[in-house]
Amino acid sequence: MTETQARPTGVAPRLVGTSVPRKEDLALLTGTARFVDDIRLPGMVHARILRSDVAHARVRTVDTAPALEVPGVLDAMAGAELVGKVKPWGDLMQDLLVGDHFPFATDKVLYQGQELAAVVAETPHQAWDGCEAVRVELEELPAVVDPEEALSPTAPLIQEQILYEFGEGNVFDRYKVRVGDFAAAEAEAAVVVRQRFATNKQAGAALEPHGCVADYDSFTGVLTLYSSTQSIYMVRDVLADVLQIPRTKVRVLVPAVGAGFGSKAQIFAHEVIASLFSMRLGRPVKLMLPRADVFRAGTTRNAQVHYAELAMAADGTITGYRDYIVHNTGAMSVWGNQVVHIGTNVGMLPYAIPNVHVDSDIVHTTTAPGGPLRGFGIPQAIWVKEQLVDMAARELGLDPLAVRERNVIDPAEFPYRTPMGHVIDSTSIKRCLQTCADAIGWDAPRAPYEGKGLAVSMKYTSARHPSLDTDLSAVRLRLETDGTVTIYSSDVSHGQGHATMLAQIVADGLGVGIEKVSLAPPDSMTAPFGLGTYASRGAAVLGTACRLATQRLRDKVLAIAAHVLEVAPEDLDTGNDRVFVKGLPDTGIYLEIIAATAAYRTHQLPPGFEPTLEAVATYDTPTEREAPDGRGNLSVTYSGAAHAAHVRVDPDTGRITVLDYAMAHDTGTVINPLIVEGQHHGGFAMGLGMVLSEDYVYDEQGRLLNASFKDYLAVTATDVPELSKTVEIPAPSTMIPGGQKGAGESGTGPVPAAIGNAVFDATGIRFTTLPITPQRMLVALREKERRGVETLRYPDDMPDFRGPRQHTDWPSPVASDADLDLDFDWEDD
Amino acid sequence: MQKVCLTVNGREVSAEIDERTLLLEFVRDVAGLTGTHNGCLEARCGCCVVEVDGDVVKSCNVLAVQVDGAEITTIEGLAPQRLAPVDQITTQSLAGVYRPVEAVRGTPEDLHPVQAAFHRCHAVQCGFCTPGMVMVLKDYLEENPEPTRDDVRRAIAGNLCRCTGYQHIVDAAMEAAAEMRGERVPDRPTHGSTDGA
Repeated sequence: MTETQARPTGVAPRLVGTSVPRKEDLALLTGTARFVDDIRLPGMVHARILRSDVAHARVRTVDTAPALEVPGVLDAMAGAELVGKVKPWGDLMQDLLVGDHFPFATDKVLYQGQELAAVVAETPHQAWDGCEAVRVELEELPAVVDPEEALSPTAPLIQEQILYEFGEGNVFDRYKVRVGDFAAAEAEAAVVVRQRFATNKQAGAALEPHGCVADYDSFTGVLTLYSSTQSIYMVRDVLADVLQIPRTKVRVLVPAVGAGFGSKAQIFAHEVIASLFSMRLGRPVKLMLPRADVFRAGTTRNAQVHYAELAMAADGTITGYRDYIVHNTGAMSVWGNQVVHIGTNVGMLPYAIPNVHVDSDIVHTTTAPGGPLRGFGIPQAIWVKEQLVDMAARELGLDPLAVRERNVIDPAEFPYRTPMGHVIDSTSIKRCLQTCADAIGWDAPRAPYEGKGLAVSMKYTSARHPSLDTDLSAVRLRLETDGTVTIYSSDVSHGQGHATMLAQIVADGLGVGIEKVSLAPPDSMTAPFGLGTYASRGAAVLGTACRLATQRLRDKVLAIAAHVLEVAPEDLDTGNDRVFVKGLPDTGIYLEIIAATAAYRTHQLPPGFEPTLEAVATYDTPTEREAPDGRGNLSVTYSGAAHAAHVRVDPDTGRITVLDYAMAHDTGTVINPLIVEGQHHGGFAMGLGMVLSEDYVYDEQGRLLNASFKDYLAVTATDVPELSKTVEIPAPSTMIPGGQKGAGESGTGPVPAAIGNAVFDATGIRFTTLPITPQRMLVALREKERRGVETLRYPDDMPDFRGPRQHTDWPSPVASDADLDLDFDWEDD
Repeated sequence: MQKVCLTVNGREVSAEIDERTLLLEFVRDVAGLTGTHNGCLEARCGCCVVEVDGDVVKSCNVLAVQVDGAEITTIEGLAPQRLAPVDQITTQSLAGVYRPVEAVRGTPEDLHPVQAAFHRCHAVQCGFCTPGMVMVLKDYLEENPEPTRDDVRRAIAGNLCRCTGYQHIVDAAMEAAAEMRGERVPDRPTHGSTDGA
């Protein structure tokens, strides 16, 4: 008997698990939703940032005086005048003693697009004119675009002022994993496959550009910031710290946000600059970034170079993984070093690999800042590992599907702890794998230039980031005096549908109609403290906080009703906006009456009852901190994704067409199936962009050549195949009270690898560099034909390839293992 | 400065403007209709699409002076109820029991069929590209009542969406096309609310 049937007649069916159309849609569909650029405050003026045209340079002069002569210009500023007055930021997330971010370049420019000066004027055009009048003298230095060149002792030093705890030169951090004994696994393996892989620098390219309106009240000293951001408290706390003013004097409000994908999960210089201008002028200041600025100075997916090895036994069992990763975080990066930690740790899934040995040098280059982007390092790790799995299977003459079936975790008992330390509370990844393979007809013969590929991954559901010992969200609920409910949360919804998802939870828990439940806009003056919306944490972490708050509010409601009705609370139930005696759903007392009693008729309350109908709950996940050897259960639960791709390569144009694509996901208990399906579709499209078209292209001087949607090839509707084969095979989480798992990012992880494997199956060409563009495909096909070979690696086997072709020529991590005792028995640690 | 007079959603709007003013800026800042969005200012993303004398145009790619005298329809013009002023305040409207917008089923008095289908099919995530998508599809489906899914994909190839992977947008366009042909659209769950969250 289902839960719906078990409920008394007359009570509305449960909403959790149903595709409720979204509450937030109407305003977005009719144009009445307000995004930050739609805000117009009285006396508002407009700021613009002058950014560096060159990537790497010493700053000689930034003279803003000429800008002040331009009609309409009200104020201008540059870096030198702020030194000692404004605190640098970025220290908390990166474990630095002093932050490496500042509103403007002061002594050095580190990447093209870095802030040099800013101008504020009555109109946006006047601010633009003012920027053009600023006199800048830069002494250009050699750029460092290639992360491996950044490692060279002779490479120009990029960050000259920062002292790193774990790095030196352009290496600003290091990461390592020591689990088991890879050398022993290597010695015993039937095959060890080794390959160098490189990943690309992909943009989030959320369609709403970054921007903000800062409004400082010079009498009260309160700075109000309206911003397009994913996290109000991260922005508020850092902004208050940077400006050295109390947290209570900074109020961050978030209007509708036109997506983020991780690219708005931190504070940016423009938010500080707009605030400073508003404080200096006492007027509201709007600062919207032009699209080219979003490309140049927004954050990107961190590009990586992997020297990866995978050991496999004769029966197809994966016995070991070794990798040396050069992780490119760009010139500066708030979150960049965290990406390789979590991406590698979780990227080992869905296999329980007993021997893992990873080193990473986390480097600066004179390129745009790296950061979080849908998948947080996992798509990169999966692109490498899942292609190695195919390569090993082929060497052993095994079916890639059979090899994966043998290796994906499918324990007899849960929870199951992997050698890496993940605690798997539930998973259906094996069934997901078989389902997606069946859906594209894995065993059917391939036509010429057609191929099929598989990839599997697991994605963390929220995470305890190595530098932050917290993973919490909070919800406060208020039963209003007319029986409606307001939800307060600081986790910004920017496409995920929180107003609907949370209302479904509240409606079920409180028995109130969903149309009576509203989500308040995120506001740091009123919302309970939470980390924000990233890391696929909404449904599971925020949803759990909401469930707990709903239970607490329900207890209060039942206490009042029990007193009024003179029955025990245990004999009461809720539904249809009422509290009623169990079994009598058509009677009872309306929530409206109970709420009004608590507010206006307090003599009727139970003795000692505190007359409030608010409830707050915080949920911090029971996750572990990362151990020194890289082990740890960083995530409360893990969502699974198995993808199968069927592609065709056009030998004349080099174009790859995805003919058929199947996705089978384990997202645990799904609150709103249509919303979760939409998340998977969107995750797929971002993975498709990563594998086929999207990348930052730099010239040797470090200038970004495609900072425009004209040249940056974002995926369009005609690039995407029909995604009708998207299925959920839920294995509800046992750690999360409602069973949810993260949905937002699991669709991205397997895409590049599944398509890369399908491309090899179609052409015999193993692409080791992303993206696989038509140009690259064409030259690779020509080279393969010219040589008359069965298989070819691109670019490793191309005549002009300058990197190491064989693993014997591979570089070693620049950090020696001298600080580690190599004889130490990690197995017994 | 030059005087420009446009009819925006049936309302005459005129102003002395800088010749450099884009149609997008005229719609947003002069007419005060901010549902038309600035996503790139380079005619690539499609968030700023409006109708000019019945044809869809990326409004960031046109100067306002170029279309002086034209009839402009923006996203705000598709849902008539949103434009109609409340001319009588009654005890019923004060009590909040006036008929709410029917967003799921989408009658012509409430929402355009494309808007209603976007709601039913979850073709909206962050919603920033949505007004442009809706404007393009409305125009396309009026001229092409029986498109294939591939036709729809080509029709929106000039509009970017980073959230949805386009699948639900194509679903919505096919449903809207059926409804615009007078066919009955399939039933979907209707217990959603229509209030602005």
